[in-house]
Amino acid sequence: MTLLEVDQLSVTYTPRDQPAVRAVRDVSFTISDGEFVGLLGESGCGKSTLGNALLRLLSPPARIIGGRVLFDGADLATLHTRQLRELRWTNLSTVFQSSMNSLNPVIRIREQFADTFAAHRVTDNVDTRAAELMELVSLDRRVLRAFPHELSGGMKQRVALALALALRPKLVLLDEPTTGLDVVVQRSILDRLAELRQELGFAVLFISHDLGTVLQMADRVLVMYAGEIVENRPAAELRSDPRHPYTRGLLGSYADPRQPEVRITSIPGRTPDLSVSHPGCLFAPRCPYAEDACTQTHPALLPDHGGLVRCLVAQADRLPTTPPGPLTGATVDPAFVATGGAEVASISPGIADAAGTSSAGAAGARSPNAGSGSLSAADTDEATGAGETAAILVVHDVHKRYTTRKGLRTNTVTAISGVSLALHRGRVTALVGQSGSGKTTIARLITGIERPTTGEVRFNGGGDGDGDPTRVDRLRGRALRDYRRHVQMVFQDPFAALNPTRTVAYALSRPLVNYGGLRGGAARDRAAELLESVGLFPAGQFLDKLPHQLSGGQRQRVVTARALAPDPAVLIADEPISMLDVSIRAEILELLADLVRTRRLAMLYITHDLLSARLLADEVLVLNRGELVESGPTAEVIGAPRNDYTKLLLDSIPRL
Amino acid sequence: MAYFARRFAFFLATLWAAVTLNFLIPRLQPGDPAEAIVSRIGGKGQAVDPAQLEAVRTMLGAPGGNLFEQYVRYLGAVFSGDFGVSYSYFPYSVTHMIGEALPWTLVLVGVTQILSFVIGTLLGTWAAYRRNTRVDSVITLGSTFVGTLPFFWIALLLIYVFAITLRWFPERGGYGGGSSPGWNWLFISDAFQHSVLPGLALLITGPIGWIIGMRNNMVQSLGEDHARLAVARGLPERRIAITYGARIAILPNVTGFAIALGSILGGTVLVETVFNYPGMGRLLLESVSNKDFPLMQAIFLFTTIGVLIANFLADILYGFLDPRVRKAENS
Ligand SMILES: Nc1ncnc2c1ncn2[C@@H]1O[C@H](COP(=O)(O)OP(=O)(O)OP(=O)(O)O)[C@@H](O)[C@H]1O
Ligand code: SF4
Ligand SMILES: [Mg+2]
Repeated sequence: MTLLEVDQLSVTYTPRDQPAVRAVRDVSFTISDGEFVGLLGESGCGKSTLGNALLRLLSPPARIIGGRVLFDGADLATLHTRQLRELRWTNLSTVFQSSMNSLNPVIRIREQFADTFAAHRVTDNVDTRAAELMELVSLDRRVLRAFPHELSGGMKQRVALALALALRPKLVLLDEPTTGLDVVVQRSILDRLAELRQELGFAVLFISHDLGTVLQMADRVLVMYAGEIVENRPAAELRSDPRHPYTRGLLGSYADPRQPEVRITSIPGRTPDLSVSHPGCLFAPRCPYAEDACTQTHPALLPDHGGLVRCLVAQADRLPTTPPGPLTGATVDPAFVATGGAEVASISPGIADAAGTSSAGAAGARSPNAGSGSLSAADTDEATGAGETAAILVVHDVHKRYTTRKGLRTNTVTAISGVSLALHRGRVTALVGQSGSGKTTIARLITGIERPTTGEVRFNGGGDGDGDPTRVDRLRGRALRDYRRHVQMVFQDPFAALNPTRTVAYALSRPLVNYGGLRGGAARDRAAELLESVGLFPAGQFLDKLPHQLSGGQRQRVVTARALAPDPAVLIADEPISMLDVSIRAEILELLADLVRTRRLAMLYITHDLLSARLLADEVLVLNRGELVESGPTAEVIGAPRNDYTKLLLDSIPRL
Repeated sequence: MAYFARRFAFFLATLWAAVTLNFLIPRLQPGDPAEAIVSRIGGKGQAVDPAQLEAVRTMLGAPGGNLFEQYVRYLGAVFSGDFGVSYSYFPYSVTHMIGEALPWTLVLVGVTQILSFVIGTLLGTWAAYRRNTRVDSVITLGSTFVGTLPFFWIALLLIYVFAITLRWFPERGGYGGGSSPGWNWLFISDAFQHSVLPGLALLITGPIGWIIGMRNNMVQSLGEDHARLAVARGLPERRIAITYGARIAILPNVTGFAIALGSILGGTVLVETVFNYPGMGRLLLESVSNKDFPLMQAIFLFTTIGVLIANFLADILYGFLDPRVRKAENS
């Protein structure tokens, strides 16, 4: 039985003094009773806009300019406010993209349930019903007495889910319900969701850009690009035989890090400007299979291979049957491609003897303490001494406690306890852990922004590593400033990291002036060189651009170039790709791998994403509650984890 | 509870600081503080009037004893409400003059401030509830328009129409010659008659800030996810407007309102001058133009204390209204 039928739905944003944006165009699909449908697409492709249109929650400047939404046969667009209000939540409920703000901050959780029941004349006892719902999402019933700000992100998300299920709706629309949460928390919420769906039998429209999760959970997947549905097929078929070139690109950007061979690709170019009309296929500028006709004829969404596909070439059955290798040359070859010994060496030239051996051997040879899965402070440290290349930066048995004082009581939080690690030139060390595990604290200790409570941070000169090491934990003032040029950071959010009112040239010249003493023309020339070294050609085109004129990937490249400006020895990359679209992640990872290789940088790569750690890092350190629980060569830690926490992290990744 | 105790301690500390600064500042200057003050308010090159000097000395307290003894005496005087003798209203004490003026201001400005806040909040809520409709446009554009009119122009217009042309209400003053202050019907009705025009002038301009502020805050909170989710949950519109809109939008205005209430102790100079109303504002203006330093100093201290008390009350109220504040301070 068809529950929801969307027919030729189009939505336009008409902001004041800006061109209108056609965010959703002629979208049609159906959802049957109890079906789990995934909606996949990159940021800005119109997923949330579509979701809001289905819920009739669009507000100006957004407007539905055409099409119908039929729910159980009733047209949502023409329903009276009263009828709509009654249909809402009893039939169609939702969890928003960021549930951080989807609860009223000034009333208790219980009241928000009470509101919902009262609005739909549910006469049962509020407390009993609400407590049942709390149990449903595995929360303590005491949560009902809390205010939203007293809950963690994961708890809020569970409350939002409980609220969505409060009236046993037929369809639940989930818009990225777990984005921004820890992987482990994400996993447990999604598992609970799957169980609840089994129990209660509601249908789901699950919006996400997380390919792994969607493919694992959905019966059928809609792929959206630039406001259009480009492919609509059963999940299993879509996974094994993607028909639309964009779907192929997306699948190429994802891999299961536990596989023996891991490889991801990126899609070149950027999404089209939706405020101008394009006569042909919207994907054509980025499509490796594009033909002449593609730039003239706009493809329709037509039946193809047991589903619907919007591609001229696929419809003519001229698409190569197996997805070609990389869509572009931008491939990150992981260090462990079984046949890739030479590539291993090229990523880590510092360890010449790794070349030519098999991948496991290579990995083993590169990490002196490969044999022991567990590790302690001493291990790493001794290992460093024994290693082929002297460590450029050593963190030795560091503890960091934060003391907060409140009245007479003092509160001590241990952020880091007994962590040791060593960074080597030409090598990437990944630091993996949930948020709050202390990853960023370690980065701050290394850059000297914070001092350890006990323990040492030693830096072996900017030169060749001989001479006395610098005790970073004792630096002050000018010496600290001088040290910082050797240790640079790339941050998570390329949007926040650049001043929106300053050009790229300015952003890059600041460190050049401060550390390099370069002026005017010389600084500009050097800035141009830096841009080219991060792959922005021709540099002249980018120098005078403002951040908003760049794509996310380009911005992250500029941020990276800025970090390279003082010619550092150590680069700390704190989640550098987590805010980027999946289709361009591979490209930034490749850039980082390349920089480590060509500039002999030592890199600390901070992430919660095991896939990118697998691709980029030589060595992985797993951090849990401020302690290192496991470390070793990447392939070993990810392929055969020993520690329970590492296993938990890995189990949180959807298995395809 | 800890939150409220902390706010109270903070209030006491700032109060003490304000009172002490009031004592210290004139004394920290080199030379004879009284002379310094008199020459500063008199302007350079003017002869120092010995009588003025005497009044200032009285206000500062006899300079006998060391600084600490002076300070103790000063605190005693402040807490017993003794601010010395007014220079321009000799032989009345400063306390007497303030006592005469304060009730007028408290009643006129206090009542109109409260009414302004209530009216402004209601109109702002209504505009936001009916946002982007004609009601909203009328309220928003209307209040923006009134807001651009100079206050004295509105006041003079009122005087011209209702006092001079129609002769409905008296033109100026606090009460007529025929009555004398006291709890008698004649005086009360007379004072009421006199307060209508200044009150109206304040009521026309007073709510504008609250309307705009409330409307904008509420439109914003109604656009937030929790309010949109409330719509998706099918809650009745009115419930959403109140609990998910107004309830949150009013929070920032509470502080603003308390501060506005606190500062009425200093009077509203403009309205009291235009209507020649015998309140604190007019007293302040006269004390300034007569260089009556003791009176000025006392009015400033009064205003400061008023603002501090109001701030304290706003914090307390805020703590009740916004659970996030209590928590943020505790963690
Ligand atoms: N208020 C607005 N005014 C103008 N354009 C907007 C507005 N909101 C969204 N858009 C545009 O509409 C398009 C679709 O946005 P939407 O939020 O639906 O994307 P999304 O797929 O949900 O992205 P994400 O994965 O980042 O959540 C984007 O191009 C965006 O720039
Ligand atoms: S229609 Fe052409 S350009 Fe568009 S996806 Fe198909 S092959 Fe590529
Ligand atoms: Mg979205």
